[in-house]
This record gives sequence, structure tokens and C-alpha cells, in this order.
Amino acid sequence: MLGARTPTGMAQPSKTQIDRLGDRLKKGSPNESDLISLDNYRRSFSPAYEAVVRAIRDQLDLEPTGRPGKSTRSIMEKLNRESIRLTQVQDIAGCRVVVSDMSAQELIVALIGAIFPGASVIDRRTKPSYGYRAVHLVPRISGKLVEIQVRTSLQHVWGELSEKSADVIDPDIKYGGGPDFVRDTLLSLSSALKGFEDLEYRIQRLLLQGVHHEIQDELQSFEEKLVKQKRSFAEQCHELMVTLDQIRS
Amino acid sequence: MIFLIEYDRRKGLINLTTFDDSERSNAENRRLQIELDLNRRGLGCEVVLLEAVSEEALRRTHRRYFESLRTLTASGSDAVASVDKR
Repeated sequence: MLGARTPTGMAQPSKTQIDRLGDRLKKGSPNESDLISLDNYRRSFSPAYEAVVRAIRDQLDLEPTGRPGKSTRSIMEKLNRESIRLTQVQDIAGCRVVVSDMSAQELIVALIGAIFPGASVIDRRTKPSYGYRAVHLVPRISGKLVEIQVRTSLQHVWGELSEKSADVIDPDIKYGGGPDFVRDTLLSLSSALKGFEDLEYRIQRLLLQGVHHEIQDELQSFEEKLVKQKRSFAEQCHELMVTLDQIRS
Repeated sequence: MIFLIEYDRRKGLINLTTFDDSERSNAENRRLQIELDLNRRGLGCEVVLLEAVSEEALRRTHRRYFESLRTLTASGSDAVASVDKR
């Protein structure tokens, strides 16, 4: 068993020991000793996790929802899906911030980046992961990675839809698999949301410039496109509901 | 607040236990106990700890644990429609 607790704290297993634990977890059916070892490893992220959440709370006056430790099942699935070592999993600990729109997202990402200047930034808005869009920042605190997810409310709705579909229909949906129509509809929804958010962002930028006569036409054109995008998104949500009812009946 | 969630991916939320912020260690111990028990019984529920300022905040940022797929899909349209009000 790794990291048996001592009165002064937890022992530090080696990287090799942790990765060997990961290899055993990949095989499925972990024994009790491995579950305890994984729990100890999970808890070793607590100081880093708490530092991140505290910084976001204190310096940005935000209330992230935190996950001090990824679930065992999710860790095992990730190890198998991505063929990575346990020490390479960068979202053992993490937190999530949901903001109103892309303007807010840009601001919060910049502010978090200023708090954690060395953090790696994964911008899934430009390169979605099977439709998933958000910005993730991953600072390293005392050698431990902590994942900070920053989502707009619409990106969050899509993310939850995708996760729940994976839960109740097919776990492969989140990663490009599952029934064709569900997967394709989710991708289409993601694309519609991107179009919608891009337009909304451009409208906001225009409004910041002040609505002068020369951009009035452009603004009106954007707003008309926005209405169409909204309608398209609502229709696709409805189609998805109908399909899900058919699959599950 | 700390929330201990037992979740069956097919069936949904099984149990939600709330702890004070000061009870992190208890919450972690309880999480492990439940997981070990489920493992002994060969059951594959997810057991996870989440932290939020309130249960309402948790339900907003982690809806998957609390809502059905139908509700989430229906809310997609609502979320887009509500953008008008911003």
C-alpha cells in the first residue's frame, strides 16, 4: 500500500510506485490495498487544490465548485482511454468556474492566468474536444497539477448534456463514439453554440465601441443572425430530446 | 460546504451527504469507506467529493448528478433564450 499515514503526514511514494498503481488500476477490479493507495495519492493533492481555490476565491471574489479528488472510476477510465501514466493525469484535483458569456470568460481566464503565470492553458474553444468547449488552466503548485475549468453558461450546458448522455446512453459519446445520431447532434449543437457565442461576443465588442451610424447596420445584421442561431439551437435540442426518447423506449 | 455524492451513472443520484468545511478529513474517510464497501460488494457506483459555497451552487455547476437527461436537454433551449435578458 502506498503512502500509509504517519502522525506527521502521508509518506511520499515514488513516481514509479504511483505509475505501477496506475498500471494495476488499468486492468480493472482494483483490490482494497490499491483503492487505499489511490485515495492516499488523491489526498496528496489537497494542499495544492486548497491553494488554488483559496486564491480564486480571495483574489477574484469568485466561488468555484471544487473537486478535491477525481473519482476512482473516472481515473481508471482516463488511464485506459488516454494510455497515460497515473502521474501524468492532470485533473486529479480541480475546480470549475461558470461565467455568463465569452467576454466574462476572456476576463476571468486572463485574471486566473495572472494569479498563476506558469499555468498551461488549454483553449478548447478553438480546438474543441469532441465538441467540448471551455478554457482549462493547469497551474503546478508544489509539484501538483490542479485543473481550473472556466466555462460559459452555454459551454457548461453542452458539457453537462454530453456527460449525462455518456452516463445514461453510452460512455463513448464523450469521446467521439456512441450512437451516430446522438454524437452527431451533440457535435452540431456544439457548433451552433460556437456560432452563437462568437456572434454574441462580436456584438458586445461593437457595443463597447459605441453604436455609431457606420456600425449600426453591422450590429443589426449580427442581431438577426443571433436570433437564427438561437432558433437553430432550440430546434436541435428538441431533436435530441425526441431521439433520446426513442433510444430509451 | 463539502458534498459526498454516491452516483449510479444509469440510475442517477443515490445519496448526498453534506459536511462542514472543517470536516474534510471525515468526508474523505467516509468516501473511502463507502468505496471499499461498494468494491467488496462488486458494485460500481461513483463516489466523489465536491465542494461548493452551497448546495444550490453545486446543483448549478454539476447538474449531471442531480438532473435527468431530458431536463438537461430542455434547459439547453432555456439557457439560450435567457441570453436575451443579459
